[in-house]
Amino acid sequence: MTARGISLDFEFRSPIARVWAALTDSSMLEKWIYPNDFKAVVGHKFQFRAEPSQWWDGIIDGEVLEIEEPLRLRYTWMSGSEHTVVTWTLSEVDDGTTKVHLEHFGFEAEQSFHGATHGWQRMCGKLGSLLSELR
Amino acid sequence: MNQTRERDVYEAIADPTRRELIHLLSDEEEFPLHALMGHFPMGRTAVSKHLTVLKEAKLVSDRRVGRETRYRLNPAPLKQVQDWLSYYEKFWQGKIATLNRLLEE
Repeated sequence: MTARGISLDFEFRSPIARVWAALTDSSMLEKWIYPNDFKAVVGHKFQFRAEPSQWWDGIIDGEVLEIEEPLRLRYTWMSGSEHTVVTWTLSEVDDGTTKVHLEHFGFEAEQSFHGATHGWQRMCGKLGSLLSELR
Repeated sequence: MNQTRERDVYEAIADPTRRELIHLLSDEEEFPLHALMGHFPMGRTAVSKHLTVLKEAKLVSDRRVGRETRYRLNPAPLKQVQDWLSYYEKFWQGKIATLNRLLEE
């Protein structure tokens, strides 16, 4: 049972409804992720299709796991042999400011998301430099 | 020799206390146990147990100096975590930068 992933925080100077639309509307998603047939419906299966390359067919398969407009969105993200889950959590700071928390976790065998929810950014800062020395 | 079991690096870093320990250890060459203790709202035994898990994952090594045990970070096993993570971290940071421009249009 393993869990590994990233946890990132962002802040946008946009109302929460607009940020939610950017995360869930297919044509908006195409503008910043990839062309897709995403629908904000639990159980909907979708694909993101990036340009294929020599190493990758460019296809990301997903299934919507959770929708709680405009606060929470969770879907699987499967590409090649990687099976992962992406979770977006939104919160309204004020009318024109929205905080977004992103978690992208991998799982093997059984899903395990306990534990590693915070601290990845810090970890990647200091440890990132330590690890780069190992190369 | 006391027996040590192998432990998955992901299991070792799944716990927030152990991640904090890794952070502390990454700041200094070596730490004696008592210097680590002050950072955690738990007893010596509990901190020791977390250090043992990190040792089993080969993330930490220790040595005796007089009456105290000193701990040192070995970041090498984190490399396999870093590769997966750093890819997606860069991926999303790039995508989010695009999204930010999109939202400001």
